[in-house]
Amino acid sequence: MINKQINFKFQISNFKFMFLFLYFFISLFLYSGNVQAQQVSLSLSPPLLELFIKPDKSIMVAYKLENLGDPTFLNLKILPFEAKDNLGNIRIKPEFEGPVRFSLDNSDLKLDQPFFLKTNSSQQILLRIRIPENITDGDYYYTLLAEATPPTASEGIGSARVKTTIGSNILVTISNSGNVDIKPKISLFSIKGGLVFSQNVRIFDSSDKIPVVLSVVNKGKNTIKPEGQITLKGNLGETAKYDIISKNILAESERLLEATPSASYSTPTTLILSGFFVGKYSLSTQIMFGENSPTIFGLTTFYAFPFKILGGILLATIIIVFIIKRRKEE
Amino acid sequence: MVFSMKYLVFSIKTIFFCFLLYTLYFILNTHVSAIPMDSSRFKIESANVEVAGGSKSSSSYKLSDTVGQLAAGQYSSDGYIVKAGFQYLNLISPFRFSISNTNINFGVLVPGTPSVATTNLTVYFSEVGQYQVTAIEEGPLKTQSGKAIPDTNCDGGTNNTCNESLAKVWAAISSYGFGYSMSGNDIPTDFIDETYFRPFSDLTVVESPIIVMASTSVGKNRSSTVTFKANISSIQPAGSYQTVINFVATPSY
Repeated sequence: MINKQINFKFQISNFKFMFLFLYFFISLFLYSGNVQAQQVSLSLSPPLLELFIKPDKSIMVAYKLENLGDPTFLNLKILPFEAKDNLGNIRIKPEFEGPVRFSLDNSDLKLDQPFFLKTNSSQQILLRIRIPENITDGDYYYTLLAEATPPTASEGIGSARVKTTIGSNILVTISNSGNVDIKPKISLFSIKGGLVFSQNVRIFDSSDKIPVVLSVVNKGKNTIKPEGQITLKGNLGETAKYDIISKNILAESERLLEATPSASYSTPTTLILSGFFVGKYSLSTQIMFGENSPTIFGLTTFYAFPFKILGGILLATIIIVFIIKRRKEE
Repeated sequence: MVFSMKYLVFSIKTIFFCFLLYTLYFILNTHVSAIPMDSSRFKIESANVEVAGGSKSSSSYKLSDTVGQLAAGQYSSDGYIVKAGFQYLNLISPFRFSISNTNINFGVLVPGTPSVATTNLTVYFSEVGQYQVTAIEEGPLKTQSGKAIPDTNCDGGTNNTCNESLAKVWAAISSYGFGYSMSGNDIPTDFIDETYFRPFSDLTVVESPIIVMASTSVGKNRSSTVTFKANISSIQPAGSYQTVINFVATPSY
């Protein structure tokens, strides 16, 4: 009897053991996270730094670099850049150049020396920017780059390893006097699309969306920041105003400006006009570049008529006349 | 009935004639006089041109070589002015860039059987921030002994030869090489569908990185998928073929 009881207890404990084993075994498969490939997610702030500085001065700027992906080694470096096109894209140059000197004030970090950053941790980067004395006035553009080291190569297979790099641009204007060189010019203020009858006559249907393009050239030696509006005036005196977004135009470069409310279009545009237009409309723009700076103007026109509606009415009338004639003949 | 028909035809003719006159008036009436723009400090006459034009003069300065001045007091005392973030935004929005998989594994490459692998690129920025992502390879896929899988030309021929900045169809299994395709947000428009590929620009032959994602006005979490593809011929030497692709994400200025 006692043996049976012991045997029974043993069976129960065995059953418990099996149950627990199966529970943990199944849990392992059910609740274990998916095995993921190496993921890199980096965040850098601020995304842009504008610095106006005199020669023989230095400043320290604090950046925050966050690792939101897997643990990784990171490398910090500074490279110069230039405007690539008129859309605000940049071309980072492969080698450092220019008179501006960069270093890190962090005791444990140096430029071009890798450091480790854990998941969900951040590193403050104390960037020292120094301008040597006797530097001529002008603009210099750089990008602070944080490069994640690519994963190690896998042997025996074909593989491409990805290096992830995030950047933040630094616009440095060196001016001894505090004066900046502002030489803007509107290179293009135009309407796109429509029926073109001559250089200045573009005709749209009343319901068409009308894309406007405004591009400004900066012929000066310093970055400029446009401020202003695009004004639409109709033949009945109706007026609409659109603010120009104050984006930087680098020295000796051109930039397509953007106005609010912006909208996506098949090609880059400044503004999309939408509504029901009838008659002649004039578009003017007035752009300033801060206090004591020149104001530049541009003007263009377009025409809109309800071709589609009139075409529809005409077609309907023809059909009605045709039907009436047929009935009359019958 | 006859009277009403005549009246209807007459009305149509009248409407059509009026519309024609109205259209002709606006088309032919292109003479627009210059608009004088005056202020106490300058006078600008801007003609009706597609760009700014006309004479620009002032008694106090010439427009062509004007200088502006930074906040004079602060600049002269401190010697610098620093502005962080985009000035037209009210907040300093961090710029974030993620790549879902940095180890693009093709497995064992089999001749005539294309191997593909994907990764996702995600850019998180403010709603009006502008950004770009560029890509460049640090040399073609190659073994340590230097044997390389060449960058793809796609299917080749007159219509289907791709290059670093133009995607073309790469579907033939007899077309060998290494390249990539893209789908998703803010990608180049020449990636028409998943059969369109480009080769990467090559750092070892001093090519420039190519923009693979860009937007002038982005929303949050703009995402694209990069599909890497490798296809080898039967005479490709055996080996472990490797390369590094550098994706660089930068905000605009």
